[in-house]
Amino acid sequence: MSIKIIRAGILATVQDSGRTGFRSIGVGSAGAMDLFAMKASNYLCGNDGNEAVIEINFPAPEILFEQDAIVSITGADFSANINDNPVLPWRTLLVKKGSVLKFKRPVSGARAYLAVSGGWQSGKWLGSYSTHLKLSVGGHSGRALQKDDTISFPAANNFFGNKILPAFIPGAELEKVYQPANNIRCLPAPEYAMLTESNKRKLEQLQFVISHQSDRMGYRLKNEPLMPEQPFELLSSAVDMGTIQLLPDGTTIILMADHQTTGGYPRVATVIKTDLPKLAQASPGQALNFTMICLAEAETCYTNMQRSLEEIKQACHLNLKMILSLD
Amino acid sequence: MALQEVLQQKHFKGFIETVPAYASLAIFYDMVKVTANYPIHTTVYDFVRDFTEQSLNALVGFSSQHTKPPISLPVHYNGEDLIGLANLHHLSAEEVIKIHTGKIVRVFMIGFLPGFAYMGKVDDRIATARLVSPRAVVKPGSVGIAGSQTGIYPLASPGGWQLIGQTPIKIFDSKKETPCFFQAGDLVQFVAISKKEFDQLNEY
Repeated sequence: MSIKIIRAGILATVQDSGRTGFRSIGVGSAGAMDLFAMKASNYLCGNDGNEAVIEINFPAPEILFEQDAIVSITGADFSANINDNPVLPWRTLLVKKGSVLKFKRPVSGARAYLAVSGGWQSGKWLGSYSTHLKLSVGGHSGRALQKDDTISFPAANNFFGNKILPAFIPGAELEKVYQPANNIRCLPAPEYAMLTESNKRKLEQLQFVISHQSDRMGYRLKNEPLMPEQPFELLSSAVDMGTIQLLPDGTTIILMADHQTTGGYPRVATVIKTDLPKLAQASPGQALNFTMICLAEAETCYTNMQRSLEEIKQACHLNLKMILSLD
Repeated sequence: MALQEVLQQKHFKGFIETVPAYASLAIFYDMVKVTANYPIHTTVYDFVRDFTEQSLNALVGFSSQHTKPPISLPVHYNGEDLIGLANLHHLSAEEVIKIHTGKIVRVFMIGFLPGFAYMGKVDDRIATARLVSPRAVVKPGSVGIAGSQTGIYPLASPGGWQLIGQTPIKIFDSKKETPCFFQAGDLVQFVAISKKEFDQLNEY
């Protein structure tokens, strides 16, 4: 039971929700950039949230299904087609043996997620399927998918004979997560206090444009320079996905999923976890605005998002129960 | 370091991991799990902070389990910057080696790359600023100095540390169950070896 990559994309990697417990030896979490889309794609296939998915950038790979499969595509809309018929994102898809999945053009977003019922079978390293590109471990041989790679998945039940109700994620749920796309909420980070009062205001007033020097490690931002109160020397300390660092030239960088575990640049703000999916779907050229919020609000946002995900999971699993025998 | 040890032994439900650094300890936690397990009066952050402060207070009289003897690490002192660094400090290469091997250093933190151990402090006589222009590629196993820190590149990587030697020991091996040779807090003593010994021990 497998799929075959018949044409490679620019960067398609196997990811899950990331690696935990190894930051203290310098191994970061990696994992899907957009954890909301990644979990939703799993739920739509009847999986738990943490099965391995394929994170796809555009140009995307072309994929041949060598067996029947229950899949879903979430996150970015790259105009997915199966056998040249457009298919809808954010819903359960039944794919017949011999079908070819292609992504025609980028419509919106930056990263699509392809999940399969039962999860893609790939390499686990330190408890996670996520591809660690630097160490070449985890996921599919620790690297991006190439032409002729095959990835296995568990056999799907004979579902085509059954009447099933494909699950889908309502547009209103997606609106809540991804809109307004440019407004990114942040908390003050440990070195926020090093900024002058006028720079603190600028952090919320200026536009921060995502540059082309942006990848899974971080997004370099172009902005009118910010400066700390005084020249600084910092001892390295922990950073996380969403940490906004101030570089010596006054520009900024937002660390993303493949970030280093520690850094020595001042950490001026931290993007709240709830807004990381928006960032994951942002592309070079896009302008961001930061809004500072308080901790209590950030925690409420996160709790609400987790609650939404739990509801999505229940709803999806209810629809798919007949074919997936989840009990 | 002691706080990290205490938190690893006795932590709250929802605790994920810690990242020790020079002068800080970052604590990662799962907000949803903490909320499900404890009555939260203000924010989850406040709960974790209070828990951590109590753990800190309990540290009075704490004696660390971390009493491993120093780890001996063989180094062949042939680095590209050894002579330049020696000249800068008006020392001979032999004196630099003697000073570098003569002081036991501590692993302050691991970061930058998987397994990259920041160790120190080196003797003031060999403390040296980073290269003005970093190298595009530093070989794995390279031993360097940056300011009063010394460290080893676990993987091939760009880098600006002054390279004085090379260890034959693989200090990060993803195939091992415990991939990282060092832990923060470890004591390390460098031991000079010859080219021949290096070749015999070489794990790369």
